[in-house]
Amino acid sequence: MMKKFTFDIKWILIAGIIGFLLVFQVFPLVYLLFRAFFATGHFSLESFARIYSYALNWTCLKNTLFTALLSMVFGVLIAFPLAWLVGRTNLHGRRIFRTLFVMTYMVPPYVGAMAWLRLLNPSVGTLNVFLQKIFGLAGMPFNIYTTGGLVWVLTTFYYPYAFITISRAMEKMDPSLEEASRISGASPLKTLFTVTIPLMLPSIAAAGLLVFVAAASCYGIPSIIGAPGKIYTVTTRIVDYVYVGSQQGLTDATVLAVFLMLLAMVILYVSNFVIGKKDYITVSGKSVRPAVVDLGRWNLPITILVGAFAFIVVILPFATVFMTSFTVNMGKSLFAAGNMTTKYWGIIFSRKSIIKSFRNSVFSALWAATLGMIVCVIMAYLLKRTNVKGKAVPDFLITVGSGTPSVVIALALIMTMSGRFGINIYNTMAILVVAYMIKYMLMGMRTVVSAISQISPSLEEAAQISGAGWLRRMKDVVLPLTAPSVVAGWFLIFMPCFYELTMSNLLYSDNTKTLGVELYLYQTYHSQQTASALAAAILILVAVLNILMNRLTKGKFSI
Amino acid sequence: MITRQFVKRAVSIFVAGAMAVSLAACGGNKEGSTSGNAGAVTEAAGSSDVSGKVVIYTSMYEDIIDNMETELEKVFPDLDVEFFQGGSGTIQSKIAAEMDAGKMGCDILMVAEPSYALQLKEAGILHPHPFAEADKLVFDYDPDGYWYPVRVCNMVLAYNPEKYSRDDLPLSMKDFAENDSMKGKLSMSNPLTSGTAYCSMVGLLDKYGEDYLKALGNQNVAIESGSVALTKLETGECSEIMVLEESVLKKREEEGSALEVIYPEDGSIPVPSPIMIIDEKYSANANIAAAEAVQEYFLSPAGQQLVINGWMYGVRSDVEEYPYDAVPLSELMKNTIPVDWEKCYKQREEIRTLLQEHLTVPEAK
Repeated sequence: MMKKFTFDIKWILIAGIIGFLLVFQVFPLVYLLFRAFFATGHFSLESFARIYSYALNWTCLKNTLFTALLSMVFGVLIAFPLAWLVGRTNLHGRRIFRTLFVMTYMVPPYVGAMAWLRLLNPSVGTLNVFLQKIFGLAGMPFNIYTTGGLVWVLTTFYYPYAFITISRAMEKMDPSLEEASRISGASPLKTLFTVTIPLMLPSIAAAGLLVFVAAASCYGIPSIIGAPGKIYTVTTRIVDYVYVGSQQGLTDATVLAVFLMLLAMVILYVSNFVIGKKDYITVSGKSVRPAVVDLGRWNLPITILVGAFAFIVVILPFATVFMTSFTVNMGKSLFAAGNMTTKYWGIIFSRKSIIKSFRNSVFSALWAATLGMIVCVIMAYLLKRTNVKGKAVPDFLITVGSGTPSVVIALALIMTMSGRFGINIYNTMAILVVAYMIKYMLMGMRTVVSAISQISPSLEEAAQISGAGWLRRMKDVVLPLTAPSVVAGWFLIFMPCFYELTMSNLLYSDNTKTLGVELYLYQTYHSQQTASALAAAILILVAVLNILMNRLTKGKFSI
Repeated sequence: MITRQFVKRAVSIFVAGAMAVSLAACGGNKEGSTSGNAGAVTEAAGSSDVSGKVVIYTSMYEDIIDNMETELEKVFPDLDVEFFQGGSGTIQSKIAAEMDAGKMGCDILMVAEPSYALQLKEAGILHPHPFAEADKLVFDYDPDGYWYPVRVCNMVLAYNPEKYSRDDLPLSMKDFAENDSMKGKLSMSNPLTSGTAYCSMVGLLDKYGEDYLKALGNQNVAIESGSVALTKLETGECSEIMVLEESVLKKREEEGSALEVIYPEDGSIPVPSPIMIIDEKYSANANIAAAEAVQEYFLSPAGQQLVINGWMYGVRSDVEEYPYDAVPLSELMKNTIPVDWEKCYKQREEIRTLLQEHLTVPEAK
């Protein structure tokens, strides 16, 4: 009797979530596609032919593919060793490094992109000038307005996705396999390549997918770094079309967005293919803290290397953002007479609308991250622990949602969620939450899927045999074992929602203005300084919360 | 198909459209015929008998809006006026999506430029409300009363005297595109996403032909948002930029910035931005009486003052005030490059293609 009841709860929950995805994600996107195919009233591929036969669009497609692929490769190449060094070795100051490496993720990309632009522009870039003087170079060593520059900024912004995903999984890894390898005489390095890396493959694939999708569908960075150097990507092209403000512009944008959706699907397929049907169970009954690898005499040199990386990638741009927030005239040194001010900080703490927006952002991001993680945990469970036909469909939908450019998601929601089809959530916070979920759930989904795929089902079976129902098993077995990943996933969703700009800008109303909208206003309306102050304040706040959480949970929950 | 006439008018001539029959395009200097029709009797601006709620979508600066809200509260104590602020592109795409859904979220639009107003008029979502004092308007307006200019964004050149000397810089739009020494040191807004930049390019295209765009492309002019361009001017990364005058004036007044406007020798490009009322059927609050009153207020001398306080030029010949650190409107109008709004609208596809092939993704050609 009891068993039947719990069985029902599982399916009711799953059905509910699939229903939610169908209504709020599939329907809007399908509607948009439908419009694109039926632009003239009957089925036609005319729009597709027109958009994809235009050479210029192909240039943009190539740019997107190229920059996103490179960012993915570099992102993972950087993140894996860092995650390993920070999580599994006795590297000096590894706690500080961990915090630093996830910090980039707390700065809105468009604010960070402005910092890089100021550091590395080819005429007066601060870092460029500095290097030129030190090494007595004839010209500027770097030009940010190149494909290389774009890849650099994309990588430094999106490698934290990979870092967080990989380091969470690494912590949960069963060390006995590595120990076995060591006992059998393998060197630490050989163990790394023959045991650790293969075992981490699901997480590495997940990490790569996240970085790729984020880099390919991001708008802020290419519009600031790419466009001045005439490097246009699919997302900047889509915005070109959308901003025409005509029905045809919307259709053209959708048609181009299909490319990104397909791309996300292909990458998902490839990453699943890489993992294949192999068994990656590394978390079994006895959970031991992974052994710490002693770096020995390499410790100091490696620490210095990691420190240098952290300085260049994290500290330098942050310092630029901070300094900007105190500078009156950005053409002069901060320390020039009368050029330092706190008025921009005054503005952000005194404006009523900022405080209200702050509250709205906290609430909408909380909702999006929490609901998103509920969906992710249950869907990941469905994917990894059941044999239902079509169990991969939600995973696939979540991936397509993330691959869709924000502007397209927002427009699809306006068209379908403002009463025409019986649902009217336009101009409410709900539409923001829905939009955020569509766009960022993938970040949680991948983290949880890779975590669950490492947990042996035997643990749940043991619980089941002992009479635990499904809910109980979720609560007592699955959740505790995946908790670090769930928390990491929650944060991965929360943070981008908190300062989200593109969708919020289209969907906010008088009562639901968010911090992203405020940031956009300051960024666009000629006050880089106020935008920098706001971004710096967000950064400090999140960092403090993170430290508090770390202290309160004795290191169990930190990002 | 609605035909439409654009009546470009000199300051003192009383105009109203005797129904336009021809598609008299080219917004050059055409003087409209006169008739006394425009004066549908309206209540005096500032009438306080309207109530309910009105939502305005606008691309004006947020700080200006704060002031406007305060003033509007005084003038219309029973009316709740709500602003939705966003970039022109954002608002235009929001409106496109809302039109698709069949319901708008606003009652009044104060966004974009005249060619967009033409598009919306043709789409049939605007409500006409003839303005009694249209004769005092310095810029084009719709003879049927579907849209009126309410503020003027003026495209100029700007530089940083703390970094470069004015004598070394191009002083005309033409030289901006052709001066070899400026290669790689220039910036302008994206004409594919910004309406004012697009219209300015159409004006320059008419004046100098396609060669102008080619020359601009050869200059490797950086295409980016105005705020980024201003920062680059400040840091010295750019020597000169093509930018909206208001953004420079705002920086001068608010931050004491040294950045300076250059009124191009071959003419500034003033781009009037329209005010439009959404047809009752599609509007958010179906509050036409209030929307009409608000429109009249914005077009009145008092409303115009709010615009001018926001660093933009007004549109009335009888308002003498002008933006901080700018020149009087009458002075500005002596040397301008005209823009053909009809062409901006009708030939948008062709012109956009030209722009992207010369300016944005040139290798695709």
